[in-house]
Amino acid sequence: MQNQYQIHFVGNAHLDPIWLWRWQEGCGEVLQTFRSAIDRLKEFDDFIFTCSSAAYYDWVEQIDPELFSEIRDMVKKGRWVPVGGWWVQPDCNMPSGESFARHALYSQLYYFKKFGRICKTGYNVDSFGHCGNLPQLLTNSGMRTYVMMRPGMHENPDIPEKLFWWDGVDGSRVLTYRLSDGYGHTGTQNIAYELDKIGAMLPEKQHDLMLFGGVGNHGGGPTRGDLAFLAHRMEEKKDEALVFSSPDAYFERICGGYLDVPHWQGELQHHASGCYSATSLVKQLNRRAENRLAAAEMWDTVSAAVCGTEPSTEALAEAWRDVCFNQFHDILCGCSIVEAYEDVKNSAGHAITIADRIENAAQLRLISRINTWLDGINEPVTLLRHHCRKDNFPRPVVVFNPHGFAVRCPVRTNYPSSAVKDCAGKDVIFQNVRSSRSNDSHLDTLFIADVPALGYAVYWLSWMQDADVTADCFRAVEKEYGTDVRAGKYFLENEHIRAEFDEATGTICSLITKADGYDLAAGGRLAVPTVIDDHTTDTWAHNVFKFETVKGEMTLESLELVEYGPARAVIRTRHRFGESHLTQDFILSSGAKALRVKCRAIWQEPFTMLKSTFGLTGTDAINTYEIPGAFIKRPTNGEEEPMIGWADLTLTGTDGARHGLAVLTDSKYSCDCPGNTLRPTLLRNVIFADHYSNRPAADFRYTDEGMQLFEYAILPHAGEAETTDAPQEAAVLCRRPNVVPAGYHKGALPQMQSFLTVTEPNISVTAFKKCEDGSGDFILRAYETAGRSVGRVGFVCDLADAGFWADFHAHEVKTFRIGREGFVTETDFLEGIIQ
Amino acid sequence: MRLPYKLTPQPARFCTQYADGDPAVPAALYTVHSTAPDLTGFPLPLPSRKQDYTCFVQIGDVTWYGATSGLTRYEPAAARKDQIIQFFAAERDLQDNCVLALLPDGDSLWVRTETGVTHIEMRPVGAEEKAMILLHESQTIVDRWGMYSQKYLAVPRDLSSRFPYGHSDNDGGFTAAFAVGEMFRYAVMHREKGANHPDTVEARRVATRACEACLLLMHIHGRGDGFVARTYMCAEEPVPENGVYFRLHGDKAVCLDTPATRERGSFLKMYGDDLRSDTSGGHDICWSGMEIDASAPIPERLMRCITDTGHTREGIFYKADTSSDEITLHFLQMRIAHEILGPDDPELDEIIKDSAKALMRHIISHGYELCDATGEPTTWAKWSERYFATEMGYVDACLNAAEVLSYHKIVMYITGERGEWQESYDYLLSRGYADLATKHFDRMQQMALNDGIHPVEDIMYGDHMLAVVSFWMLCTLENDPALLEKYKTGFRSWRNSLEREYDPGYDLPYAIATGDEIDMDRMAEWLYRMNISRLAAGVSTMKRHDTPVRMHLGGNKEISWLLPNDERFISKYDRNPFDYKDVDSGGTICVESCYIYTYAYWMGRYYGFFE
Repeated sequence: MQNQYQIHFVGNAHLDPIWLWRWQEGCGEVLQTFRSAIDRLKEFDDFIFTCSSAAYYDWVEQIDPELFSEIRDMVKKGRWVPVGGWWVQPDCNMPSGESFARHALYSQLYYFKKFGRICKTGYNVDSFGHCGNLPQLLTNSGMRTYVMMRPGMHENPDIPEKLFWWDGVDGSRVLTYRLSDGYGHTGTQNIAYELDKIGAMLPEKQHDLMLFGGVGNHGGGPTRGDLAFLAHRMEEKKDEALVFSSPDAYFERICGGYLDVPHWQGELQHHASGCYSATSLVKQLNRRAENRLAAAEMWDTVSAAVCGTEPSTEALAEAWRDVCFNQFHDILCGCSIVEAYEDVKNSAGHAITIADRIENAAQLRLISRINTWLDGINEPVTLLRHHCRKDNFPRPVVVFNPHGFAVRCPVRTNYPSSAVKDCAGKDVIFQNVRSSRSNDSHLDTLFIADVPALGYAVYWLSWMQDADVTADCFRAVEKEYGTDVRAGKYFLENEHIRAEFDEATGTICSLITKADGYDLAAGGRLAVPTVIDDHTTDTWAHNVFKFETVKGEMTLESLELVEYGPARAVIRTRHRFGESHLTQDFILSSGAKALRVKCRAIWQEPFTMLKSTFGLTGTDAINTYEIPGAFIKRPTNGEEEPMIGWADLTLTGTDGARHGLAVLTDSKYSCDCPGNTLRPTLLRNVIFADHYSNRPAADFRYTDEGMQLFEYAILPHAGEAETTDAPQEAAVLCRRPNVVPAGYHKGALPQMQSFLTVTEPNISVTAFKKCEDGSGDFILRAYETAGRSVGRVGFVCDLADAGFWADFHAHEVKTFRIGREGFVTETDFLEGIIQ
Repeated sequence: MRLPYKLTPQPARFCTQYADGDPAVPAALYTVHSTAPDLTGFPLPLPSRKQDYTCFVQIGDVTWYGATSGLTRYEPAAARKDQIIQFFAAERDLQDNCVLALLPDGDSLWVRTETGVTHIEMRPVGAEEKAMILLHESQTIVDRWGMYSQKYLAVPRDLSSRFPYGHSDNDGGFTAAFAVGEMFRYAVMHREKGANHPDTVEARRVATRACEACLLLMHIHGRGDGFVARTYMCAEEPVPENGVYFRLHGDKAVCLDTPATRERGSFLKMYGDDLRSDTSGGHDICWSGMEIDASAPIPERLMRCITDTGHTREGIFYKADTSSDEITLHFLQMRIAHEILGPDDPELDEIIKDSAKALMRHIISHGYELCDATGEPTTWAKWSERYFATEMGYVDACLNAAEVLSYHKIVMYITGERGEWQESYDYLLSRGYADLATKHFDRMQQMALNDGIHPVEDIMYGDHMLAVVSFWMLCTLENDPALLEKYKTGFRSWRNSLEREYDPGYDLPYAIATGDEIDMDRMAEWLYRMNISRLAAGVSTMKRHDTPVRMHLGGNKEISWLLPNDERFISKYDRNPFDYKDVDSGGTICVESCYIYTYAYWMGRYYGFFE
C-alpha cells in the first residue's frame, strides 16, 4: 500500500558568499554551482533545484547572461525554484525592520522582473536565530511559509521539530518548517540514512516531510551520484513516496490536506550567542548605513517634491543592496575572515557615501529655497558669512530632523557664538564647546534645537568676536537661559534626572528620576565597566549561551568634570584593565531624559568581553529588547540576547512601584541580564572566523582590537519599558538631526517647516520615499512602537497632497502608497507594484 | 475590581432633509456668499481633498467645511479624539455630496447641496436615551410578531413605504440577540429602579415577549422532536422564491414546492407520465410536497405572539433548514432568560427547560446534527464528526465544536440535570472537541494559504457572534480548570479577529470570559458614534480622501481604519466593517433592528462595564 505521506527531497546548495573566503570567491562559487545545477536538471528529468538570494541571481545575470537565460527557462518550467525573496539569507536579529523591507523590495521586484514571479517561501536555513517579528516581516514580503534550521534541536528542543505555525509578536503567522537534520545531505549512504530516519517520522508527524540535500556552504548542490541514487530509490521503493520537490510544492501539498501542527509564539533562539557582539566594526557600519540611507532618502523625497528634482531612487537602491548584502548572516554576525571585512568596509562606505551625497544635495536644495535674507545685507549670496561676520550679522544654520516626530536635542556646528536665536527671535540655550580642531578658536557652538517632524528649523548664531574667545565651555550657568543643567565634580543634573558618580570607581552610585524621586542605583552601581572571560568560546560562541565568568572590573584612573554650561555638562571617567583603556564622557544635556555616554576604548585584551553593568534592586524583573520593527519581552535569565537600539530592565523597586532602566546604543547588538543586572556588551575580543577550532599556533587577528569609538545612553524611567520614550530616544541617538550652514537669500520656504505630521507618538516612520516603479507615487512606512493597538492615527503630508487615518495593531508595520491627488492605498513592502 | 466606565451624553446627528423651495428653508441659504477655506497647514487628515472644499462657516468652536464630496465638521477642542473631525455624506446625512452653501442656525446648520437642503443638529444624547430611541424605532417599524430582524421599504428612506410583511433567514438568531439585550435592560431596571417601576415593568414585558417569540420557533412546527424553525410567516404572506418551507394544515404540515426543495428532492414527490425522460417540472409532471405530522402541542402563551394579532396557526408556513447560527443564539437567550426572567416566571422557565432539553435531545439523538423532516441534516446545523470530515466541515469544525459543547453546558445549567447531557458532553470531549475548538484560526490560515488569499479575506463576520457566544457560555459555565483553560485559549485565538471590530457586543463577553483587559474607551466610542436610527440610507466608504484602501491577495478591498459607526454602512453583527463599499448591507431599502446597539449597551450596564 502506498504511503499517503510523501518525503520531499529538496535539492539545494548552501552558498555563503562570504565566510572563510572573500566575496570574489563566493561569487565564483555561485556561478559554478548554478552551472552545475543546470547540468543536473538536464540530466535528471524530475529533479528540481531550489535556491535563494537575489544577489546571486544578479551576479549570474551580469557575469554569465547565457547561464542566466537557462535558469530563467528552468524557472518557467518549475524545475528551478527561487525561494527566500530577500537579497541574501540575512542575519534575522540585527537588521532593522526597514532593512528587511528593503530585502523584500529589491529582491521580490527583481524576481518578478526577471522570472515573472515572486518567492512564496521565506528561506533562511543557515541564519543563526530568528526574531519574533519575522513572521510579520515575511508576510509583508509576500511570503507566508518559511524554512529555517537554527537553533538546532540540541540548542532549543522546545521549538517544534519540522512543521509548525509560527506566530510573531504582532500576531502575524507563517507556516514554518524547521530543518532538524541539516540542509546539505550528500553521499548515498548519508542520504539513505536520512531517508530512513525521516521516513520513520512520518507516522508520528502525520504529514509530508522534507529532506534537504546537496553539497553546500561553499556551494555545489546535489551531485550526479546523489541524484542517480535518489532516482533509483524512487523506482525501487515506491511505497516510500519519495519525490523531487521544492519548499513551494511541499507547502502547497501540505495545505491541501488535513493539517494539525503545533504552535510557536515569539522568537526562535539561540544558536550563536556570540555573534551579536563579535566584530563591532561591521555592526557599527550596518547601523550607520541603515540610518544614513533612511534619512537621505527622506530628504531626497522632500527635495524632489519641493524642488521638482528627480528622486535618486536607483542610487539609493544600489546603496541599500550593499547594505542588504552585508547583512548576510556570516558577515553581519562578525564571524567571517578578517580580510572579508576590508571588503565590507569598502561597500558599506560606498553605501554611506551615496547616502551622504544624496542627503547633502537635497538639504542644500531645500536651503536655497528658505528665506534667510536679512535687511542690510548687500553682498551677493556667494560672499556670505565671512563678510557678514565683520558687520555683525548673525549667521543662519538649518537643522534638519529626519524623524517622524518633533525633536528637541543638542546639535553642534562649527565656530563659537555669542548668542543663538530661533527663527522667532527667541534666545536658545547654547554653549561653546571644544572643537576637534587645533587651530582658530578651538570652539564649536552647541545649542538645544527644537525641530518639527520631518522638518527643518533655521537658527541664527551671533559671531563671537575673537577677543571674547576664552575657555568658554566652562562658562557658569547663566540665569537668563533658564537652563536646568546643574553639575558638580561628582554629579550631573537636569530637570529629569540626577546622576552621582562614585569617586573611587567612577561608576554611577545614584541615578534619580525626578518625576518620582526614585534612585535606581540604590543598593548597587551602574555603568560598571566589567571584563568577561571569553577564552573558551569560538567566534560564534557555539554551545555557549551565557557569559558568566567575570575577569574583573576596570580600574578608575581619573574622574573629572570637563564641561559645564547651560546646554550640557560632562563628566569624564578613564578606566584601565591590563593594557586596555576606556574613556567615557557622561553627557547630560538640557531637557534630556537620557544620560549619553560617549566612549573611546583602546582594547587589547584577548578573549574578553567588555560589558557595562547596571545592577538594580527589586523583584519581578523583566527584560525588554528592541528587535527588528518591534520589541520583545524576555526573562532575566542571563542568556546573551540579540537587540537592536535598546535593551531595558524593569522591576518592582523597593517602593513597590515599577521602575526601570533602558540602555540605548548607537552600534551595539548584544546584551544579557543575569537576575537584576542589565549588561550590554560593548566589545568582544575573539579570533576572527574561529569555527570550533583548536587554535593552532598562529598570528591570529582578533575582533574589536585597538581603537573603538561608540556611544550609548542611559534612560531611567518609571513604569514599564513600553511606556517610555526608549524607541524615540534610541532613534535620535542613531539618526541625529544635522546642522547645515546656510547663506543669506530670499526664498519661498519659511524658516521652520514640517513635511509630515503623525498624530500618535507610538507610531514611528521608517521610510518616506518614491515608489520604485517610477510612477511618482510616494511610499510611507510606519510601525507601532509601544506594543499597544492604536486607532485613528493621522498622517498629514501636504507635499503629497495627502492626509489619512489608519489603525495600527500592537507592533504592526504598515506601508502606504500615496498616489495622484493624495489618494492612498495600504500595501506592503512590495509597494503595490506586483498585483 | 473593574470600575465602570462613565458614559456621558454625546452629540448625535439629527439630519432633516428638505426639498429646495420648502418654506422651512431660510431664503438666506440661497444668497449666502461662499468662500473656499484656506486649509494650508491644516493639522489633521480631512475626509475630502483640500482643493474640494468650497465653503465654510464657524459656529462657536466648530467649523463646518463644505466640499464637492461631502461635509466636514471640525471641533479642535472636542473632548474625544474621534469627534474632532466628523464627516457627513449622502445619503444618510445629506441628499448628495456636492455642498453649495452653509448657513448657521444657532448651533445648528443649514446645508444646501445640488439636489436639496439638509438641516443638521448635533444634539447631546445619552447612551440609554439612544437605546430607547432605537428600541422605539424597532418596535414601531421592525417588529414582526415579536421578531426583530429588519423591515424592507418600497422607497429608499421612506419609512411609510415599509412592507407589512417580510422576514429574515435568521429571524430566530437576530430576535434572540434582541431578547437578550432586553433581558439585560429589565435586570438593570429592576436593580436600579425596583420591580414595580413602570420602566421595569415595561422592560420585562418587552423582554418576555421577545423570549416567547424565540421559543415559539422551537414549537411552531408541531413536530414535537426538538426541531427549531428558522422563522415563520402567516398565511397571507407571499411565499418567498426559494427555501424549504412547510405550511401547517391542522395536524399536518406540507412541504412547499420551491427550487430548493426540488433540488433537495426528498422533500417532494413527483407524479407524472414519464419521470425518466422529464424531471424538469414540465407540464406532465406534478410535484407534491411531503406531508409530516405537526400535531405536537404548542404552549399557549407562546401562541399568543400570533393569536394576539388575530391570526391562527392554520396556514402559517415556517422555514426549515435551520442553521447552527440560530441554534447557538437560541441557547444563549434561553440561558439568559432562565437567569433573568425565570426566577419570577416559573411557567416560562419550565418552557425554557423543556425546549432546551428537547432541542439538545434532538441534536444528540441525530448524531449531533439538526435534522429536517426527511431525517437528513439541515445544510448548516451539523456538529458531527461525519460533517467535520468533509471539506466544508473541516473549516467549520472548530467553531461548531465549541458551539455544541456550549449547548450541553447550557442545558445542564438551566435544568440542573446531568445524566444524558453530561454523558454526551464527556463523549464529545473524548472525541477531542475541546481541543478542536482552539484550532479555528489554524485551519483558516491553512485555507487562506491554500486559496492564495489573505487570512482576513476568509473571515466570516457572522462567525464572530457565534464564537463569542459559544466561548462566553463555555468559559462561564465550565468548572474544570483544564477545560476552562482550553476554552479561554479558544476564545483568545479569536481575539485578533474580534479586535478588528472593537464591538462591545464581542469585547464585553470576551472580558467576562477571559478576564483580559479590553479598550473601554473604544467601547464607549462605538456606543457614542452609533446612529440614532437603523435606517439604512446608504453611506459610502469609497473615495474618502482620508481613508486608505487595502487591496488583498484575493482581490478584496478594505478600508484601512475602522470608521465610526455613524460614518459607515449600517449592518447587523455579520458584516466586515472594513468593507470598501458604498451602500449599507441591506441596501438603501431597509430599517435594521436595534439589537446591535441594545444588546451591547444593556449587557455593559448589566455586567457593570458602563454606568
